[in-house]
Parts: sequence; structure tokens; C-alpha cells
Amino acid sequence: MSASSSPMNSAALQDELKRIEENTRTLVRVSTSRAKVAQTPKQVIWTFNKAKLYRYIPVVAAEQRHKVPLFLVFALMNKPYILDLRPGNSFIEYMVKQGYDVYLLDWGVPGIEDKDLKFDDYVLDYLPRAIRKIKAVSGSDEFTMLGWCIGAILSTIYAALRPDDGLKNLILLTAPLDFTDKKAGGFVRWVNDEAFDPDKIVSAFGNVPGEMIDYGAKALKPVENYIGSYLTLWDNLDNPRIVESWHAMNTWVTDLIPMAGATYAQLIKELYRENRLIQGNMLIRGERVDLSRIRANLLNVIALGDHISPPCQSESIMAKVSSEDQLLLKVKGGHIGMMAGSGALKFTWPHIDSWLAERSE
Amino acid sequence: MSNDSESTNLPDPFETMNSLWETNLKNWKSMRDTSLDSWSKMMIDTANSDEYSHTTGQWLDTYLTLSQPFRRIIDLMMTQVLTGLNMPLRTDVTSLAERLTNIETRLDDQDAKLDDILGALKAVSLPKSTAPKPTNNNSAKAKGAR
Repeated sequence: MSASSSPMNSAALQDELKRIEENTRTLVRVSTSRAKVAQTPKQVIWTFNKAKLYRYIPVVAAEQRHKVPLFLVFALMNKPYILDLRPGNSFIEYMVKQGYDVYLLDWGVPGIEDKDLKFDDYVLDYLPRAIRKIKAVSGSDEFTMLGWCIGAILSTIYAALRPDDGLKNLILLTAPLDFTDKKAGGFVRWVNDEAFDPDKIVSAFGNVPGEMIDYGAKALKPVENYIGSYLTLWDNLDNPRIVESWHAMNTWVTDLIPMAGATYAQLIKELYRENRLIQGNMLIRGERVDLSRIRANLLNVIALGDHISPPCQSESIMAKVSSEDQLLLKVKGGHIGMMAGSGALKFTWPHIDSWLAERSE
Repeated sequence: MSNDSESTNLPDPFETMNSLWETNLKNWKSMRDTSLDSWSKMMIDTANSDEYSHTTGQWLDTYLTLSQPFRRIIDLMMTQVLTGLNMPLRTDVTSLAERLTNIETRLDDQDAKLDDILGALKAVSLPKSTAPKPTNNNSAKAKGAR
């Protein structure tokens, strides 16, 4: 009966077994190893405490490059290499190829000795020093600052406190700035509950552990983060493009860092609860943060599917600043996917580039 | 020959098994995705509810309150042990780190001053060395020629 079919099917069975073996190997590899990330060539041009300032090696000839340097400020609670995840999926690589002189501030990993660092220190000690170095290295008195998430809070505060420091363009990505709506998103609800005491957390841990912040972010979409992500990998083990992309993203997601305790307490109390920044009564070393002092050209990029910083937290700043040249850009994707997902190259990066290019000469 | 042709007309058990497996897998996947979607929506709603916020807040508060005395005891014991062994305490390391940061701050200030001085020196020396021998001392003209 199976004299003619058996050999063929036994070969097919062998192929299937081989495929299963290969898939198992892939699964073990990507779930137990770190992907090669942050590969765009760079050099460290400044360090301060744990922070490092990188300059990415330009690939475009000096005379064709944009004159205004681009300064990237990422959030405090994750590693900034999400902006340079892997070749072909790197915002930094893309912008360097578009002719920008790109600088990235890596805040580093705070130690217990940094537990008292506040927004005040990051904005008035770290940022001005890094900016001075950028000006010295680039030879330009003007610069563009791009802040993402908490990096956008820091950039906004800086832009309001130092409007005459050469800031030409301000780009905000998924910026959590306005917490008027106390029901918008899980974070706002959690931290506004009377049982939640940020001082107790800081007193217990010093710096807020990365795992705790990570739990908070993942618990907003528990099924997607704890199960869906692995099922996507399982379903696509035959697809090297998806597997490598998953591997790189998983490397970043599991590379957790703590957040300085005092900064965390300030974030929860002064921003999430008291909404001081947007109301104009936030004090940074005694200086009031007045958003109407922001005059730089403003591009505010909002992710329509953002569950961490819902759009309503980012939109209202447009009416508060004095920038004559301002644009609110709504793009597809989530908080991270907007800039590092597969659609970023199509839906986000070209828009940022086209807006910035004509303002960088 | 006739036996052979008869045998090829019989259904191949592997193929049947494969197609059955594929159909079942497809059905199972679609069922899985549908149930995951609805589960996900339910969990997101739960995580975004006031009840969840209050429960997790209270749980965290209880944990921190209950663990506080133990943390205090451990800290006290650690301090006594390290002091007894003549080893530096956490506070010693922290204050050393703070002193290093202060030194770094001063160094960075010096670096800024040095950059300013170098910049000023460059500004003074650049027009002379790069200008193509201006006919008079008008620096604006020399700059334009460049």
C-alpha cells in the first residue's frame, strides 16, 4: 500500500522533525541570550557621574550635513539603545544617514548614592553640561533636542527654564505632561490611589527597582506582555526577520534599570498627582517652570495606541507654549512601537526627518 | 502492475493525517487568538479599574509596612558587623561617591572654561592663518574672501 508513498512521507516527516529541532534551538537561543544591539558606530565625548554622551560617527560629508546637531534625551527608567536597536531598525542609524550630527545622552544606571537625584539635578546639572559639550564639539550654537517619554518631560522643563540657550527645535515623543484626567490610563489611576505611597517605596528601596517599574508597564496590558509576545514568537519561529526583531526587543525589554528614588517620588507627587508642570507651578531649584517661555519650533509626536502616556497627556502643551512654529503629529503605534516597531520606518521617522530637515539649516 | 496502480489510488495516511493536523491547528489557532483577545480586553479593563488600583496599592502598602522592621534589623546588623570588621558602611561608600561627583563637577567646569579659552584663541588666530593675505586690515573683507 505505502510502497510508493512511504519513502516520500518519511522524508517529509524527517524534514518536519528537523524543522521542529531548529525551531526549538531558535527558541532557546532567543530566550536565553542577548541580541547584538546598539551597533551604530559612536564615540563617548563626555561623561558625568553615571551619564555618558555619545556622538554618532557621521556618514554624510560635512558640507552636506545639517548644521544644527540633534540631541536625543531618553527616559530615565530604560536603556536608551531602543533608539539604536539593530541595523535596519534604528532611528539613530536612520538620522545619521539623513545627514544629522546625532548625540545621545545615556543617563546610566543610578547607584544607591544617586537616590537623592531629582528632576532639578537632571535638568540643571546634566543637561546644560551635555549641551555645552555638544556645542563645543559640533561648533554650532544652536541645537535640536528630542525627548522621549520622561526624557520629554526633562526636555520640556529645560526648554522652559533655558529658552535662550540655543534650543532651536524641540521634539517631544509620547510626552506625559498633563495629568488633568485622573482616569486616563492605568498608571494615573494606580498612583492616585490613597493606598499608594511613593515615599514608602523610596524609603524601602532607595532607588525604585527596575523590576517594579517593569511590572507596572507590563501590567497595563498583561496578556499581550506576558503571553501574547511569546505566542507571536512561537508562531513565527520559521521567520528569521520576526525572530531577530523579537530577540532585539526582548533584550531591551529585559534590560532593566532602577530609577533614582527622589526623581520617582517627584514624578508621582508633583506631576501625576498635583499636575504642576502643565499648571505652571512646578519649581525647579526655586525657579518656576513657565511653559509659555518655550519659543523653540515644536514637533509633538503622539502615538495613537499609547497606553502608557495616553494622547490626552501630551496634547495640551501645544496651547501652553509660545512657539509660533508648532506641529502636533499623531502616528500609528504604541508607546515604544511608534519609534522602534516595524512601522516606524514608514510612519514615524520620515515625518520627523522631513519636519526637522528644513529647520536644521 | 495492476496491484501497483490500485495501491496508489488508496488514501495516503500521512497526507490525511497532515491535512487533518493542519485543519485542526488552524482552528485551534483562531480559537486561541479569539479567546486571548477577549481575555486581554478583560484584563486591561481590570487593570484600569479603581478596584485593581486600590487592591494593588493596599497590597504594596502592607508588604512595605510588614517588611520595614525586618529591613531595619538587617540594616542594624549589617552596620554592626561591618563596623566590627572595620569595613566601610554603605554610608561611607555613598559619601565617597558624592565626593567623586563633586570632583567631577569641578573638572567639568574647568573643561568648560578650557573650551571657552580654546574657542577664543581659535577665533583670534583663525582669520590670520586661513585668510588669503588681505590687502588691508578689514577683517570683514577677509572673511568674505574665504
